[in-house]
Amino acid sequence: MEYKTIVCDVLVVGAGGAGCRAAIEASNHNLDVIMLSKELLGKAHTSMAEGGINVALGNVDPKDDPATHFKDTVVGGNYINNQELVEILVDNATSRVYDLEEMGAVFDRTPEGKIAQRPFGKQSWRRTAYASDRTGSEIMVTLVEAIRKSSVRVFDEMFATKLLVQDGRIAGVTAIDMKYGDYLVFRAKAVVMATGGAGRIYKVTSNAQLDVGDGYAMAYEAGCEMIDMEMIQFHPTGMTRPESAKGRLVTEAVRGEGGILLNSEGERFMKNYYPQVMELAGRDQVARSIMTEVIEGRGSPTGGAYLSISHLPKRIVEFRLESMIEQFGDAGVDIREEPMEVSPTCHHFMGGISIDTDAQASIPGLFASGECMGGLHGGNRLGGNALCDTQVFGALSGENAAKFAKEHSLTGFDREVAKQEFDRVEAMLQRKDGISPADAREELNNLMWSKVQIFRNEEDLEYAVKELKRIQKEVVPKIKVDVPIKRFNPGWHQAIEFAHMVTTARMVAETAYMRKGSRGAHYRVDADPDDKGYYNIVIRKGDDGEMDLKRKDLVITKIQPP
Amino acid sequence: MAKKFKTTVQRYNPDMDDSPYFEDFEVEYEPGMTVLDALLYIQDKYDSSLAFRWECRGGQCGSCAIKVNGTARISCRTKVNPDKDILLEPLDKMPIIKDLVVDMAQVTYRIRRIRPYVARDKPPQRPEIIQAEEIEKLREIRKCIECSACLSNCPIVAETWDYPGPMIIRQLARLQLDPRDVEDRVSMALDEAVYTCTTCKMCEDICPKNIKIPSLAVELLRAKAVEAGYPLAAGQQGFIDSINKTGRSVPEKDAPLLQTTETEEFLVDTPQGRVAFFTGCLIDYRMQDTGRALIEVLNRNNVDVIVPKEQWCCASPAFRTGDVHTGKAAAVRVTEIFEEVAEKYDLDEVVVACAGCGKTLREDHRPIIEEMRGEPPKFKVYDLAEYLLDVIGEENMVKPKGRIEMKITYHEPCHLGRGQGVVDQPIELLKMVPGVEYIEDPYKNRCCGAGGGVRAGLRDLSMKIATTKKEYIEKTGADMVTTECPFCTIQIKDILKGTPIETKYIPDLLAESYRKGDKK
Repeated sequence: MEYKTIVCDVLVVGAGGAGCRAAIEASNHNLDVIMLSKELLGKAHTSMAEGGINVALGNVDPKDDPATHFKDTVVGGNYINNQELVEILVDNATSRVYDLEEMGAVFDRTPEGKIAQRPFGKQSWRRTAYASDRTGSEIMVTLVEAIRKSSVRVFDEMFATKLLVQDGRIAGVTAIDMKYGDYLVFRAKAVVMATGGAGRIYKVTSNAQLDVGDGYAMAYEAGCEMIDMEMIQFHPTGMTRPESAKGRLVTEAVRGEGGILLNSEGERFMKNYYPQVMELAGRDQVARSIMTEVIEGRGSPTGGAYLSISHLPKRIVEFRLESMIEQFGDAGVDIREEPMEVSPTCHHFMGGISIDTDAQASIPGLFASGECMGGLHGGNRLGGNALCDTQVFGALSGENAAKFAKEHSLTGFDREVAKQEFDRVEAMLQRKDGISPADAREELNNLMWSKVQIFRNEEDLEYAVKELKRIQKEVVPKIKVDVPIKRFNPGWHQAIEFAHMVTTARMVAETAYMRKGSRGAHYRVDADPDDKGYYNIVIRKGDDGEMDLKRKDLVITKIQPP
Repeated sequence: MAKKFKTTVQRYNPDMDDSPYFEDFEVEYEPGMTVLDALLYIQDKYDSSLAFRWECRGGQCGSCAIKVNGTARISCRTKVNPDKDILLEPLDKMPIIKDLVVDMAQVTYRIRRIRPYVARDKPPQRPEIIQAEEIEKLREIRKCIECSACLSNCPIVAETWDYPGPMIIRQLARLQLDPRDVEDRVSMALDEAVYTCTTCKMCEDICPKNIKIPSLAVELLRAKAVEAGYPLAAGQQGFIDSINKTGRSVPEKDAPLLQTTETEEFLVDTPQGRVAFFTGCLIDYRMQDTGRALIEVLNRNNVDVIVPKEQWCCASPAFRTGDVHTGKAAAVRVTEIFEEVAEKYDLDEVVVACAGCGKTLREDHRPIIEEMRGEPPKFKVYDLAEYLLDVIGEENMVKPKGRIEMKITYHEPCHLGRGQGVVDQPIELLKMVPGVEYIEDPYKNRCCGAGGGVRAGLRDLSMKIATTKKEYIEKTGADMVTTECPFCTIQIKDILKGTPIETKYIPDLLAESYRKGDKK
């Protein structure tokens, strides 16, 4: 297949919160930076983050400090976080939030004119900075404004499909121009992966269309070490109806501002599970509590719980939860008067590409940040730490990619590998008989939702692993595109995505199957009591082409697991 | 059996098709279904290559704007009505890449041209102290998700890219309002043709974030321009000078209505209501017969009409072009006059003949008076049709009897429909007239090009917009277009000169039917 080659110094794959921040940072070093965006600039999933960004400014609770932020993050992460990375997070959060403000972000204020902060789950103090309940949108808009000021070259609607590695070093990526269907190779001295998560492998998710795990699969295939892939955060509060809105995020800020959870009997059931912290228990804990109520027959008609904020003054709800009013208004519910119906939704991948303290992956020249990076959040991510992650590690990955690019010359690349990759995606267009991506995706979504879910057990996981191996072997090679055209063809894009989704799903199922005890978001109903779970699981692609899983010791700097 | 509805989608692949064409799909309805759901249904069931953009499906990312039944909106928050077929087309003004996916390069380029970020002359202190009041005004205007639907619907952008469109003007206002930004956004706004907006509010009406772009951005930037000493266009300044001198925006020509009426009081024997009549400048100075018709229609419906002899311009031309000083003075004066009348005649309802005046009284005067004295004006403002149908009620109305055998369409004045929420009432009045065949114009709510100081200041552009409006009206095949605003009436009459289509103000048509009915 014919392709065109584009060269730059630093290539950033992904244009959400982390990607934009990395690109801005790298461009500050007098380098030619390209940012690939799978969507139009500014439309990334970061814009859907609602509640806020954690930063221990102490503006509302003066006793807060980075050390407490560190402790909360590690305890909240069930002690399996990489503590070196957590230190980086808490030590840099303040500077990165001020960066955003310098770029033009407008956060809500305290009476003294400082950045206001609200309480979020599992945090010792009010730490979460916010712009009403559209904080992610505020940050995304700000970063887009900054990108428009910068020298970064943005290639939007560009679908990266494969990492190119040459002599053990990163060489670039292959990509498809979604608009016109052209094949492109982007070569760079350093590459930053900022490709987000993979909520779309589940049937019910808060994630945007594009969150299919492209980055996880690409990094794995290139030989990167992946970590904590079994740790999937099911956000306890997703919408349950109408059907088309199922899974849409209901921000934790609702509970942060005082929202309470009720079962069908009108009982505030969190007191039976976590009486100390009630609705502000960890996300994994609240999700399991809601599902237990549902399983035991005390769920709402649509299989969830009631979340009520109607006891608060309307003015407060209108000022601090404006998006929720709009979102539930569309579903015919006035949250100022009536309770919302909520149930868990696949929200965030704690795991991902394993990085060192320079945000560098196991392939030299390849860096990662944001949700596609793993290890930082451990077994459970605190609300407000994801936006913080995008900014801190986005900047760190951008800076170190720039340093790497300055110290290295451009490497060559294997044209045969690029050609084979384009042949592979071209073949999907030519295939006459096969399976449509829509059907294949539905099967995968249902399998993951029913077998690799909130409550896990040996039998389900074994089945899922077996099924995923079969899908990988029998379905993936047979994916075909109904209409064989390259110009903006969503059917083709979905076909290419499907292989990425299956690889990602398999990493999740394999690691979940390997971990026999419960830890964080990974909850086994048949947990082995001897498996305390104080380790990480890493995966690499083995020499035989199969998934090679290993236990790895925790990285501990300050807090020992109990 | 689930209910099905027809969805017609514009298809186009420039590689293979000579020109765009339409394809119909049957879609199964599900409660709560959105236009995006319908598109996903089609993609799943019929054609996976159907191209459209979407990401978040929750109104946060702004990817999915398309034209739904002629009006651009984000598809994920547009509900489907299963009893109506839907027509889906790509956004206007942007070249098509495929099907509903358009090239946004022009928009990106236009945004970058305005230096769309907070420009600073030195790095800020950390932490930076910003008081909540300083950013309060920013909150609303900053919610924009850049879906670009407003660009597609904007009547100015439709005629010329000299204007960058509501979304981008909004960004200039956002930066102008930011205490941290050091750029001269006012001169930038002038360079970006901020005076070409007719304030038709189409952008505000379809904005998924309900941002009031005409008032919060366009009029704000114009007010800042006036404050900075930039002169208005000669035509616009002429109106304002005239208001300040005479209380009327236009010079006297024929004998004014208020001077020729012998009494203030037009009373009936058994009144079912009593209103004061705010004539506005054009009824008083140019369309006296229409004014008399309006009084007659109200009287025939057993409503007392009080016409204060001393009236004052609402100063709409000043508000629209940024002369806040003249605007405020007029608000005070108009309120005084009508509160006095209200007290003297024991009434609290004022009927306004002109859509522009009514909008100004409601949206501009009211908040100004309320802010000044902590209490809004003590009277309620109504459009004629709104008053007859919503206050008197159809069952209490005296229906016109004279037949008018004509095909009649309606132009919805921007400042009546979107400005005052009066949409269906004028059409109901039309349908009451025996013999009238009402013809719905799918583009009835598109601007005629007169408002916002554009007719006064930029006549060429105003006529271009009017010409587009003329094409919509001609397409209906009607013999007559009616409307509820003298300014629209004048503009549409102008553009329809030389065509057989008549233009009429609704009270005139009603009065004609009443009089015909008397003769029988």
